[in-house]
Amino acid sequence: MKINILGTATTKFGELWDTSPRELAREAMANALKASGLRASQIDALFVGNMLSGILGNQTNLASLIAEELGSTSQVPAFRIEGACASGGLALHNAINSLNAGKYKTVLVIGVEKMTDHSQEEITSALSAAGSDEERMSGLTFPGIYALMAKAYMQEYNVSEEALAAVSVKNHYHGSFNPKAQFQSLITIGDVMRSAKVADPLKLLDCSPVSDGASAVVITSDVSIKHKNPVSIIASEVATDTLGLYNRKSFTSLSAVVTACQKAYAATGLKPTDIDVAEIHDCFSISEAIAVEDLGFAKRGEGARDIENGKMTLFKGKIITNPSGGLKACGHPVGATGIKQIVEITEHLRGTAGKRQVKGAKIGLTHNVGGSGAVAAIHILKGSTI
Amino acid sequence: MSGIVGYGTYIPKYRLKLSEIAGMWGKDAAEIEGGLRISEKAVAGFDEDAVTMAIEASRKALASSGLRSSALQSIYFGSESHPYAVNPSSTIVGEYLGVGNNYFAADLEFACKAGTAGMQMTVGLLDSKKIEYGLAIGSDTAQGKPHDALEYTAASTAVAYILGNKKSEIIANILEMSSFTSDTPDFWRREGAKFPSHFGRFTGEPAYFTHVLSEGEKLLKQSKLKPKDFAYCVFHMPNGKFPRAAAKKLGFTPEQLAPSLTVDKIGNPYSASSLLGLAAVLDIAKPKQKIFFVSYGSGAGSDGFIFETTLNLPKYQKKTIPVAKQIEDKIYISYQQYLRQGHLL
Amino acid sequence: MKTSPVKLWRRQKDTISVLGKTGKILLWTIIRVPAKSFVDQAPYPVVIVKMDGGQKMVGQLVDFTKENLVVGQKVQAVLRRLKTEGNEDAIYYHVKFKPL
Repeated sequence: MKINILGTATTKFGELWDTSPRELAREAMANALKASGLRASQIDALFVGNMLSGILGNQTNLASLIAEELGSTSQVPAFRIEGACASGGLALHNAINSLNAGKYKTVLVIGVEKMTDHSQEEITSALSAAGSDEERMSGLTFPGIYALMAKAYMQEYNVSEEALAAVSVKNHYHGSFNPKAQFQSLITIGDVMRSAKVADPLKLLDCSPVSDGASAVVITSDVSIKHKNPVSIIASEVATDTLGLYNRKSFTSLSAVVTACQKAYAATGLKPTDIDVAEIHDCFSISEAIAVEDLGFAKRGEGARDIENGKMTLFKGKIITNPSGGLKACGHPVGATGIKQIVEITEHLRGTAGKRQVKGAKIGLTHNVGGSGAVAAIHILKGSTI
Repeated sequence: MSGIVGYGTYIPKYRLKLSEIAGMWGKDAAEIEGGLRISEKAVAGFDEDAVTMAIEASRKALASSGLRSSALQSIYFGSESHPYAVNPSSTIVGEYLGVGNNYFAADLEFACKAGTAGMQMTVGLLDSKKIEYGLAIGSDTAQGKPHDALEYTAASTAVAYILGNKKSEIIANILEMSSFTSDTPDFWRREGAKFPSHFGRFTGEPAYFTHVLSEGEKLLKQSKLKPKDFAYCVFHMPNGKFPRAAAKKLGFTPEQLAPSLTVDKIGNPYSASSLLGLAAVLDIAKPKQKIFFVSYGSGAGSDGFIFETTLNLPKYQKKTIPVAKQIEDKIYISYQQYLRQGHLL
Repeated sequence: MKTSPVKLWRRQKDTISVLGKTGKILLWTIIRVPAKSFVDQAPYPVVIVKMDGGQKMVGQLVDFTKENLVVGQKVQAVLRRLKTEGNEDAIYYHVKFKPL
């Protein structure tokens, strides 16, 4: 079944003090419907990606809340899907499954997260819910878990902290072209190296920020709905791995990502070199270095160096990663990220990405990870020019 | 006859120099160190307490004695810094040692002699053949109020003794055991108070010395022994001065006392103090030597023992890390670090 | 992180089986921005340890000096208090690692 993206929308990402979770959802969904040329009543089901609403906001049963904001009187079926930071990608995967099953024809998928109502300590504690009990009780935080990965990667491949810092520098450069990004300012390697240590060796500017935001897409299997610039989702794969980092076989590769993307490549007959543009889950600078290797965009051990050498930078690289600014610069409202990635890739495949357009982009990939790699959702999108 | 079958000691790694404390309060370090005859004290880590230390000491005692933890049939845990006011420390130790469910257990408090009181109770169960092996622990993370005299001496350590009644296993027999007890309010801590209170010089003659010397004289009388019959003597060590004075008053020489004086480098770990001094002596004693032992707990009382080492001791000594070596395994901390670790900030 | 006394009680067997066992540090980091429960202990190192028995464990490193923060450092599992709890909460004892 052909899954087409009809319309997408994203709110600005950032510290949106004035905007409530309901307002975030309302804005994203209304704009996505508008971009699709549909009314709310034409949505058969609503899929919501969100991680922290229960832990931080004491609000579960979230799907019904979001359904209220859709503005439909049709008592629309609504579901919240949670997989830590992969909630958005997992919500989309489930939405696609429902279309493939023939149960629904046109659905709206929204990722939404409100984080800045809470203190830094509460947020750090809440995010650690994505890891394992042993990790929490060892005093590890999310940055701590990725810091251990960074240590392993730097030791194994003789890579410096400066090389990892280049990931953040690239993503800020990309973010400077994205009016929706939380940070649109440029930073230097020196800025990253001088920023405060969070968990050795990761520093503040190696870490994605705390953000609010919502992103939404309308997808359909209904071929009768015409769209002048359709983008289709040609692969949607998910894989899991152990909850905790410490008992995995490798600390320098996320096997959930490797498995999911191998399934995606196999399902589409595509190779990594066929991908023109990708949105990568750079919750930390080390994450992107490892990701581009897991996805096959770089050889093992060379991910950080390739990024440092500009091989994935806008306007000069071969495969452009994180044109939106990634999680680092665009922001990381946890549950929204997976859908924002879809919104971003869709823009490039339609040629509507403005100043940050990847020229001639035909195939795009999104890489959305939950926790320290406990779950990964990989999507491949194709533009209509093929 | 019952006696010691095994022992284990745990001294936390951190040391605070008395000069650091004196510096904080603008006092003369040399004067204080000279008066107390202590140079540094052992400080528990941020995440240690009387129970975690006791588990370490007990594990060592079991390892050195070769006994299975399930052989222990009683656990008496003496402390004045039990982590809970209500909830037994003794059973937390029992559980983490894997003792099982078939043992007598209770927590004790009697200031610095809670550990030795536990030993006496264990002897009762052993002599009546109700048990074959019992564990007696003295463990404290003692605190002194900042700027108070006790701040210089209050320290942390845990010592565990396994007592038994099988001749082939005993490394030191208990020849005599008695106590001298009264109601003497020299030092106390009310429920909920973080630091103990004391009445200065009243803690000397009427308290420590009355009880230690009275019990000491009682032991000599009932055993019909004289100080020269002993190789070593051990007393509770609230500071470096008191045990030296008590030893002299009872007729012991500085050489008999010296090996037990752990207070000089460790301070006063309350319920573990005299027990640590005894362990230091057992580390170096030869077979068939008599050890004179008197503890002291404020409130007040002294527990007296006469031990005689056996031919089983040398073999046991090979399996322990001597107290003297543990004392030297240390990291110095600053006064600020001490405040943090003691949860005083 | 609210620690449940029931969880503590359930975990005792696992803790007991590990106490005193030794291993080597595989990876270490220092946590400088901690979760709420650990604020008063920060900064502190956390290590992934390869135990001599083969399994991997993660835990806080205690009683260390700078020189101990190296891959390959021998460590031993010890029982410590997990964190500072409220004065009405049950005390949670947990495995941490100490350099040998």
